[in-house]
Amino acid sequence: MPKDNKGGFTRRRFLKVSATATAAASIAGNASVLHALAPGTANGAEIDTTGMEKKFSVCDMCFNKCGLIARVDKGKVVKLDPNPKVAKSRGLLCARGNAGIQRLYDPDRLKTPLLRKGARGEGKWQQISWEQALDLAAEKLLKIGEKYTRCGTLFMAGSDMQSKFVHRFAEAYGSYNILSHESNCLLSRNRAFLDTFGVMPMPDVLNAKYVLMPGSNRFEALVTPDSIDLMTAMRKDCKLVVLDPRYTKTAALAHEWHAIKPGTDLAFFLAVMHVIINEKLYDVPFVENQTYGFEQLKRHVQKYTPKWAERECDIPFCDITRIARELAAAKPAAIVYPGRRTSDYTDSTQIRRANAMINALLGNWDQPGGLVLPRKIHLGSIPFEAPFYEDNPDDRIDMGRSTMMFDTEGSFKHARDAVIEGKPYPVKGWVTYKTNPMQTGANRQKTIKMINKLDFMMSIDVTMSDTAWMADLVLPAATYLERMDPVSVQQGISSGPCLVTRDPVVKPLYESKSALWIIKQLAKRMDLGEHFDFTMKDYRKAQLKGMPEAEAALKNDGVYQVGGNYAGLHKGFKTLSKKVELYNQRYAKAGIDPMPVYRPPKRVPTNRFRMVVGRNAYITQGSTTNNPLLHELVPENSLWIHPDSAIKLGISQGDRVTVSSSVGKQNIRAYVTKKTRKDTVYMHSGFGVLSKGLRTVYGSGACIVEILEDKNDDISGNMAMHETVVTVRKI
Amino acid sequence: MKQMSKKYAIAVDARKCIDCKACMIACKVENGLPQGFWRNWIKDNDPNGGMHTQFQPGQCMQCDSPSCVSACPVGATFKGADGLVVIDPKKCIGCGNCVTACPYDARFRNPETAIADKCDFCHHRIKVGEEPACVETCPTRTRVFGDLNDPESEISKLLKSTKHIQIINPLINTRPNIYYTEQTALLNWPKEPTLPGNIHMSSQFWKGSS
Repeated sequence: MPKDNKGGFTRRRFLKVSATATAAASIAGNASVLHALAPGTANGAEIDTTGMEKKFSVCDMCFNKCGLIARVDKGKVVKLDPNPKVAKSRGLLCARGNAGIQRLYDPDRLKTPLLRKGARGEGKWQQISWEQALDLAAEKLLKIGEKYTRCGTLFMAGSDMQSKFVHRFAEAYGSYNILSHESNCLLSRNRAFLDTFGVMPMPDVLNAKYVLMPGSNRFEALVTPDSIDLMTAMRKDCKLVVLDPRYTKTAALAHEWHAIKPGTDLAFFLAVMHVIINEKLYDVPFVENQTYGFEQLKRHVQKYTPKWAERECDIPFCDITRIARELAAAKPAAIVYPGRRTSDYTDSTQIRRANAMINALLGNWDQPGGLVLPRKIHLGSIPFEAPFYEDNPDDRIDMGRSTMMFDTEGSFKHARDAVIEGKPYPVKGWVTYKTNPMQTGANRQKTIKMINKLDFMMSIDVTMSDTAWMADLVLPAATYLERMDPVSVQQGISSGPCLVTRDPVVKPLYESKSALWIIKQLAKRMDLGEHFDFTMKDYRKAQLKGMPEAEAALKNDGVYQVGGNYAGLHKGFKTLSKKVELYNQRYAKAGIDPMPVYRPPKRVPTNRFRMVVGRNAYITQGSTTNNPLLHELVPENSLWIHPDSAIKLGISQGDRVTVSSSVGKQNIRAYVTKKTRKDTVYMHSGFGVLSKGLRTVYGSGACIVEILEDKNDDISGNMAMHETVVTVRKI
Repeated sequence: MKQMSKKYAIAVDARKCIDCKACMIACKVENGLPQGFWRNWIKDNDPNGGMHTQFQPGQCMQCDSPSCVSACPVGATFKGADGLVVIDPKKCIGCGNCVTACPYDARFRNPETAIADKCDFCHHRIKVGEEPACVETCPTRTRVFGDLNDPESEISKLLKSTKHIQIINPLINTRPNIYYTEQTALLNWPKEPTLPGNIHMSSQFWKGSS
C-alpha cells in the first residue's frame, strides 16, 4: 500500500501494545454484541476478548466491496470491522457495512426453497427440498428452451461476485438475453464517456482542486474511495460546486449549491463551454492536438450564452460564467464529475457527453487531479465454449429499441416491453439473482405485467425481495459472509486497483447455498455440466495463475493492493478519429446529434411536480430497508415537498398525502422542507414493499417505482427516472 | 486530582462529518445496544436546509469533573485509573440520577440491563490496542482518538497544532475530554444538569467557563 494512503495500519493500532497482542488471531471484541442473539448481556461488564477469530472478507451491502474483518466468536459473527489494508475503502465501513451482520442474522432470511402455491404475488408458498426445486427448475428451463428457443429465458443478475457464473450459465444454456442492474443505473454515463474518449476514465478526486458535481450525491450515495477522497481534497484546497434540485448532504457540505431546474443540465454545460471557448480558457495544445471537431463545437455553442442558460436552469448567468472561469483556472486538476447513476432524463447521454467534453476542454486527461485511466489487473479464468443453438433468434430481445445500446448489458426497460409485447419473439422464462427490479425498475405495474406473461420465473436471493415475491420458485442464497467467492478486481484511482475475495466467515445458515452451487446443480441436470466442471477453488486458482504474491496477500491481508503511478497510462483514444470526439462521427451517421443540442424539458404545470430519485447513506435501493439496524435510522420514507408548495395544497408537516402519476399512485407522509425546489418532489427508494416476507419494512412508506413512468435515455436505453410529473393531494 | 496514567480524549473535526451514521451503527453493534437507544449521535445545525450545513458527532465527554460521578449515590459510576468514566454494573441500582446529571444528555437507562448506560470509549477495545468502534469505522476520520498524556500521540500533536475548543454550558464546566475544531458550529446544546439535593459539588464544578 502506498505510504501516503490514509487509514494505514499504524494509525489504527494507536497504542503500542505487545507484538503478540496485535499479531495473534484473537482480537478485541464484545462477545455479547448481537442483542438479538444474546439478549441482556451487554453493557458495562468487562468483556472477555480472548478466543475470538478474525476473518477477512469484503462487504456486500452495496456494490463497493469495502474491506472488512469479521470477528467471530464460537461460530457467530459478533462485529464487522473495517480492514485498514484495503486502500480503496480507506479503512472504512459505513453504516450499511456495519449493519451487514443483520443481513446474515436477519430473521427474514429465506431458509428453504419455496414453490409458489397461490396466484403470483399472493404469498402462498410451499417449502420444498433442494432436490425437488432443482429438478423442477431444470425441467421448466428445458421445456421453455424447446418451445421458445433458449433465448426464451431472460437472465438478470445483480452486482455480485458470483453473478459471472449466472451469466456463464445463461450462455451455456444458450440465451443471450442477459441483463444486469446497470440499465437502471449508469449506462448513459458510460455511453457518453466512451463516445467521447473511447475509453472509460475515472476521476482523481483526491488531487483535484475544483470539482463540479452535477446531480451526484457522493456524501450519501457513497463510492469508495471517491466519497472519502472528496472530503480529504476539500479539507486541503479543493472547491466543490454541486448542481442538484435537492439539498443533499453533498450539497449541504459543498462550497456552493445551485438548485438547478430539473432537466436543464445541458443548458448549463453548453453555457459553460460557451464561456471556456469564447474566453479561450481551454487547454490550447490539448484541444489542438488531441480533440476532433473543436471548430464545429465553437460554432455550436455560440447561441448558448450564460444569459440564455440562466432563463433555462434558474442559475444566475454571473454564477455560470464564474464557475466556468474558476473551473478553467484550476485546470488540469479540475473535474466535471462523471457521476454514477445517471438514469435521469431522455437525453442523459447527451448531458453526460457535455460533461465529458468540458473535461476535454480542460485538458484534464491522464494527469493527477483530472480524469485518469484505471490501472488494469489481468486475471485468468477457466474458459468455456458456449454451445451453438441453431434455432435461436439473431439478436437480444431488446436490441434496436435504442440506437446505441450495450449488447452485453441490454436495457431492462426495453426487455420488459419486449416480453410484454412478445416481440420480436416470445420470452417466457426469467431467472433473477440478487437483483430487485420490482423495486428499482420504473413503473412497477409494468414489471408485474411482464411477470404475468411468463411461464416460469425463478429468483435466487437472500431474503424475499419484492422480485422474489412475484416468482414461481424462490431459492435461498448464502450471504457474502457464508460463501467462497472468486477473486474480484476493484478499481480506485488514487488508491490503485486491488484484488479482493471472500472465504466463508461462518457456515451457511439454514439451507442457503451459493449461486455457483445452484448453477452447478442445474447444469448437471441439464446436460451442461461440462461448462461447470470446476470448484470455486479451481476457479480462483486459475484467476491467480502466475500471481503467487496475490494469493499470499489475500490470505495475510485480505487484499492484494497494487500501487504505482496512475497517471500516464493513456495509450490512445479508441474513437473513429483516434482523438477525443467533441464532434462524434458515429452519432452523425446514426442520425444522433453529433454535439449535444439543448431541448427544453416539458413544462411542469402549476401545483404539479417533477419527481426525482436519489438515496441516503443508509439505503441501497431495495436491498437494505428491511435490515433492522438500518430500519431504525429510516423507518419509512416521506415525500420531500417545499413549504411554499405545501401551503398551496394545504399540506402540513407529517400529513398523509397521495402522490400520483400516469402510471400509479402511493400514499406517503409529507416532509415539508426547503431541501427541495418548489417544483420538485423526492422520496427514498426501497419502501412500500409488496413482500410480506420483509416483515421489518412491510407496511412502511411508499414505493417510488410504482409512481415513476418508464421513460428511457434515447441513445443508450438506460432508464430515465426524472421525467415523471406527479400530483400531490392531502388525504 | 492525582495524575492518571492515561488521559483518553477524542478530537472532532465536525467539518469532515458527512452524517453517514457509520459511528452510530458500529457502536450499536459493538456494544449490543437495544433498539431505540444510542451511545453516540450526530447533531445538525441546519435541520431546515440552507446553503451550508455542519454535522457534529458526539458522545460521552469523559469529563474530568463529571457531574454523573457526583450524582451517583452508590459509587457505581466512577473515574477509572485510565481516566475513563465507567459504570460498575454490579453496583448500579438504576436510579437514574446520573442520567439527568449529565449536561450532554449522554446517558440513558438501558431497558435490557435496567442500569445506566453510556459510551465508555469502547474500553474493551482500548485495552487491546484498538480504537473505539466509532473512531475506527469513520469514513472521513472525523474523530481522532488517543492519550493526551502521551505527547507523541496523534491527538496530542493535533491539539497542539490546531486550535480546538470544548463545548460547555456557560454555567457549568465538567471539563470534557472531547475537543472540537474551533470551526464547530453547534455550541449551545448542553443543558444544565440536575443533581440530587444532597449532592455537594466541588467548587470548580460550578465555575463558569466564560
